[in-house]
Amino acid sequence: MAARVVKVARPQPMTRRWTPLLVGLGVAIAHFFRNLLGFARGRQDFTVYFPEQRFVQPPAMRGMPVLVQMPNGKERCVACGLCEFACPTNCITIFPAETASEVERYPEVFDIDMSRCMFCGLCEEACPEEAIVMSRQVEIACYSRRGSLWHKQDLLVPEAELKPRLDYLRPQYARK
Amino acid sequence: MAVDLVIAAIRAVVMLLLVLNLSAILLWFERKGSALIQDRIGANRAAILGVGARLGLPNLGIVNTLLADPIKMFTKEDFVPAGADHFLHGLAPFLALFPVLVTFAVIPIGDTVTIGAHTFDLVAADFNDAALYVLASIGIGVYGIALGGWASNNRWALLGGIRASAQMISYEIAMGLAIVAVVATYGTLSLQAIVREQGGVWFGWLPRWGIILQPIAFLLLFTAGMAESKRVPFDLPESESELVAGYFTEYSGGKQAVFMLTDFAEVALVAMLVTTFFFGGWQVPWLYRDGFHLPGGALVSIPYWAVVVLGVVAFWIKTIFFCWLQILIRWTLPRFRYDQLMRFGWKLLVPIGLLNLIVTAVVVVMAGS
Repeated sequence: MAARVVKVARPQPMTRRWTPLLVGLGVAIAHFFRNLLGFARGRQDFTVYFPEQRFVQPPAMRGMPVLVQMPNGKERCVACGLCEFACPTNCITIFPAETASEVERYPEVFDIDMSRCMFCGLCEEACPEEAIVMSRQVEIACYSRRGSLWHKQDLLVPEAELKPRLDYLRPQYARK
Repeated sequence: MAVDLVIAAIRAVVMLLLVLNLSAILLWFERKGSALIQDRIGANRAAILGVGARLGLPNLGIVNTLLADPIKMFTKEDFVPAGADHFLHGLAPFLALFPVLVTFAVIPIGDTVTIGAHTFDLVAADFNDAALYVLASIGIGVYGIALGGWASNNRWALLGGIRASAQMISYEIAMGLAIVAVVATYGTLSLQAIVREQGGVWFGWLPRWGIILQPIAFLLLFTAGMAESKRVPFDLPESESELVAGYFTEYSGGKQAVFMLTDFAEVALVAMLVTTFFFGGWQVPWLYRDGFHLPGGALVSIPYWAVVVLGVVAFWIKTIFFCWLQILIRWTLPRFRYDQLMRFGWKLLVPIGLLNLIVTAVVVVMAGS
């Protein structure tokens, strides 16, 4: 079979086509003056001035995993260990213990090593009790390795604060 | 005699300080202006004890770029890689900066000034071969770049240095052709004389600026000058997506700052050359030694010292406009490919420059006979 020769229409080299360059220059000039005038009047821009302003992330955002704190101050976690098992990076450590309440179990130790967590959200998906969810918190930088190990008391977040995420999750996992 | 020497020294120092400050302001404008073009904010954090914020002023990043960055650069470790030639590695940045700075010596920034018994032009060193001097000193600039790449003992740096030398030599020809065409038009090599020739008007209203006589030479000189300053779209010597940082890959701290300063001084130099050759230097339209001769025939007379001041202001306005234009182009155009660069230089700019020179020569001879 004879090879078929296809003539491909390549665009001319950039040096031969001047109009796009001039159009681009016009766009740059337009933006320059629009923003320069905006500067004088306090311009409308998209940038969030971070430490002073914070962007409220949508509930689909997966930030740091936290433990849900019930109104009585206790964690909802029953220390079943499913999240520990689901975690791909083994960053969760749970020591269960017995308690007198009706669920009978609670985590005596619940540690998450944030330097290993990769924010996949599998712990949240595995949890049968809605006890661990991904929060909006992303400012978790710290000065030492020890600082990236979060204990149970640091991880507890009141249920009311997590409501957007919980509302977002229930239809996702077909829960009530 | 001694007073003349002092005046000469003051002219030189003032010009040097003006240029260095303009380069620093360009460094600031490069960051803030690019932010404007790209709908960003730009440097806006560093402040001294929060003074500006307490007074309710917006932070324009001046402390960031003019204070914090230089302090950071000059207090960083000055690293010399193993196997590098210590002497040449240290010499190269200054060999790159020096020719650019000395070129400013012949740029006239104002008219003749008389103080007491002393009469002098507002130019650091006015001599008859200034146009040749400009070409020569710009040509030397390639040594610093090539040496910097060579002495670093680094492949990327060497490639950047080689690219820089090829590019600068190619575009020097186009630049030289443009300047020769201007020199042929005005019949003098002195920049001050060229600026004086551009005073006055045609048809009673059109300023006799070089752009009207030599529009093609203007495009050539501006393009070739941008290529000489090794900035986008001609930044192949330092193309960071290919060569890490090109010829200054192995430079850090103060030496790298000197290379950066060279870049911005070259931007200022190109702007000043274009202003001097094509936009009347310090000439203000319709302004003569005794005042404005407006196109209608009206005369607004102003004292001579005001004429000189207006001339200096006009020169800086034109210079700053062309600096602005160069930075705008730098943030608009993408980088050329290497073959495009060479084709653009040798197959477009050089033939156009030659044709322009031939036409200029013929017209000059015809007009002269």
